[in-house]
Amino acid sequence: MYTTQGGDDKLDSLLRAYRAACSEAEPSANFMPDLWRRIESRRNFTFSFQHMVRGFVTAVAAVTIAIGVYVSLPRATPPAPEVTYLEALAEANSLDTPENVGPVRLEFNETGPMN
Amino acid sequence: MLVDFEVVRRAQKGDSAAFNEIVLAYRQRTMGTIGRLIARNEDVEDVAQEVFLRLYFSLDQLRAPEVFEPWLYRLTVNAAYDYLRKQRRRPEFRMSDLSEQQVMMADAVAGGKAEHDEQQKKKLRETVDSLLGAVSEADRVLLLMKEVEGLSLRELEKIYQVKENALKVRLFRARQRVLKAFETAERENENG
Repeated sequence: MYTTQGGDDKLDSLLRAYRAACSEAEPSANFMPDLWRRIESRRNFTFSFQHMVRGFVTAVAAVTIAIGVYVSLPRATPPAPEVTYLEALAEANSLDTPENVGPVRLEFNETGPMN
Repeated sequence: MLVDFEVVRRAQKGDSAAFNEIVLAYRQRTMGTIGRLIARNEDVEDVAQEVFLRLYFSLDQLRAPEVFEPWLYRLTVNAAYDYLRKQRRRPEFRMSDLSEQQVMMADAVAGGKAEHDEQQKKKLRETVDSLLGAVSEADRVLLLMKEVEGLSLRELEKIYQVKENALKVRLFRARQRVLKAFETAERENENG
């Protein structure tokens, strides 16, 4: 390690000289107008962004409310059946229904093999 | 403080004239600090404007006008960091970067023997920038704030919001590295 007092003093002097050697940049005549232009531009951007976000949030809220209202509305439900399931099934598949359970009809024409 | 607390309070309430007063009072000092931190004169004004832009939009977060200066320093250091991060053109330290002439000149300056003109000033800046390249970006900025800007440890504590002892340790290590780089350059110079 470079810990001698002489080394520290040297570095201090060098850094002091460095500070003196650093020329300070002078602000240009446009410094203030440019700064205010940037401030205005940022402000407008922030305003537009906030406006946009607010619009988006409002739209989302409106859609949410609409969905909520739609879901909570009472529906026109079919009336409860007055017959039981089995009764309904039996009615739907009645034994009288010829095409389902009626006797098989054999049709013979006159020129059939029996002749 | 370069402005009254009252001016800061007025600026916090949105008074543009008060804000202008603050900018006019602090821009020269801010630009000087930025110039030393980023070492590129052509971009100093741009970074300084960014600092005051951030100041404008964050003034309402300032707790008390009494802490305005550390607050402004913090904004300055952060804006300089951001610039350096974007540019990524920080001078890296290499022994070979330092010419024999530069080492001799730095040695003479350190010994208080040199009168320096503009050309020498430029070389001195390059030399110190190269030596400071021996430490990390964060340590370089810290070292500059302490040793070149002349801020006290208490002020740095407010800016960095880090305990004074931690800052001391960090500064000590950074100084050691720079000293070692300086010593190495001198030794190489002596050995031809």
